Amino acid sequence: MSHLVFDAVTKTFQSRTGPIPVVEPFDLEVAKGEIVVFLGPSGCGKTTLMRMVGGLETPTTGAIRLGGAVLGKPDRRRGMVFQSYSSFPWLTVEENVAFGMRYRGDLGAAEKRDRARHFLGVVGLTEFAASYPNRISGGMRQRVAIARTLAAGSDVLLMDEPFGALDAQRREQLQVELRRILEADAKTIVFVTHDVEEAAFLADRVVVFTRRPARTLALVDVTARLGAHRDLETRDSRAFFELRSELLHLVRSTAEDT
Amino acid sequence: MAGIGARVPVAGIVFGAALVALWEGAARSGLVAPLFLPPPSVVLATLVEMATSRDLLYHAGVSTARVWTAFLIAAMMAVPIGILMGSYKLAGRSLEPTIDFIRYLPVPALVPLAIIWFGVGEETKIFLLWMGTFFQLVLLVADDVRRVPHEYGELAATLGAPKARALADVTLPAMLPTLWDNMRVTLGWCWSYVIVAEIVAADSGLGFVIWQARRYFKTPEVMAGVIAIGIIGLLTDQILRALHARLFPYLTR
Repeated sequence: MSHLVFDAVTKTFQSRTGPIPVVEPFDLEVAKGEIVVFLGPSGCGKTTLMRMVGGLETPTTGAIRLGGAVLGKPDRRRGMVFQSYSSFPWLTVEENVAFGMRYRGDLGAAEKRDRARHFLGVVGLTEFAASYPNRISGGMRQRVAIARTLAAGSDVLLMDEPFGALDAQRREQLQVELRRILEADAKTIVFVTHDVEEAAFLADRVVVFTRRPARTLALVDVTARLGAHRDLETRDSRAFFELRSELLHLVRSTAEDT
Repeated sequence: MAGIGARVPVAGIVFGAALVALWEGAARSGLVAPLFLPPPSVVLATLVEMATSRDLLYHAGVSTARVWTAFLIAAMMAVPIGILMGSYKLAGRSLEPTIDFIRYLPVPALVPLAIIWFGVGEETKIFLLWMGTFFQLVLLVADDVRRVPHEYGELAATLGAPKARALADVTLPAMLPTLWDNMRVTLGWCWSYVIVAEIVAADSGLGFVIWQARRYFKTPEVMAGVIAIGIIGLLTDQILRALHARLFPYLTR
């Protein structure tokens, strides 16, 4: 069942020198619980496309639907995880996670506290509950952001290069953890990155974009080739290696014709 | 990075002491007439005498009360208006040119007008101080709002926060540390304006004390009055800095 549907979505920004097309008609149907990775060169428009799902930008033409209804202004159903400024520095780790439920009238105070603690446990940050974000590592801050969107009860997680500022080890570790978390708590994910290896490891499907204006260059079914379960050994498999080279070539082909 | 010099400003104290010693020497040597440059020891003795057996503390209290009254009125208006200007483009665009114009009017130039409007009572001083601080502070507040990373507002929106709630729950706490610093700086300007106001139209306050002393060429008293302002400024600033660390513990690593 398709859950999140892109229906001929385009985006054109108006500038002083005239209209700048950023996203060319884009169509995609994403199943519930699927992880779709938008892969493409920096500034190609993939982030704009993701922000339109969040309601932070509006499509120029076309529509994005969630569960059949056209998406508009931002709401709790689509949670964001940014690369930087992903947590509020004046709140403790636990308060940051609880902030995800701040505007939920359907939960009582005790329930919110329990949920916050539960999701802190899910991302492995229970012992840092009382710390402020600037006293924990960048990787932990991204886990805080993930726990917050999970606590908020978002149906779709929109992740904008969330691990882009981390070192290679931390990034790998978080990728493994993200897959693990989602195996337990299935969420639809749109994940934006320009890192080929990250795309290959995390995705159920990868959409490879051209340079701006973003157009679909290829749609690669990763799960068909790697299976749904991923762990550290996945990276050592021949299938992963081949997939990675294939994606790399696709990205290079669009980056080179500059 | 933080050696002992960071906590105890040794270099700063040494420099200050050397400057005072030089001043004392120059004044004592007879090279400069004491009418123009009394030695610091005499100024200090005068300051102590004015504070203990005369009414310097009363006048200091009057000036401090004027500064804080005007400053609090200005801040209570500038913070909400500045937040509106910083977060709603239309508010910013419509108010900014006018505020920018008024901001450049020098406070002393407004003294005659203030006296025509309000006479020489307290209203005049409060008005002048308010003029000098509100228009500066409101633009600083608007800029503080604009400097809050847009991600914070977007996070709040995607968690279901209505815009007004996001301003209160996210924008305000995010800008609070810089707002605090800007208020600290603006409060300092208030002290300049209060002296101007008190010199021109007052029968109390430190500006009045200094101006009275000048009329009789009591240079040590003039200097003592100026130093009293400096001491109040220094103390206020230190207290506000200490509160900054207390209010925003999350900024220290």
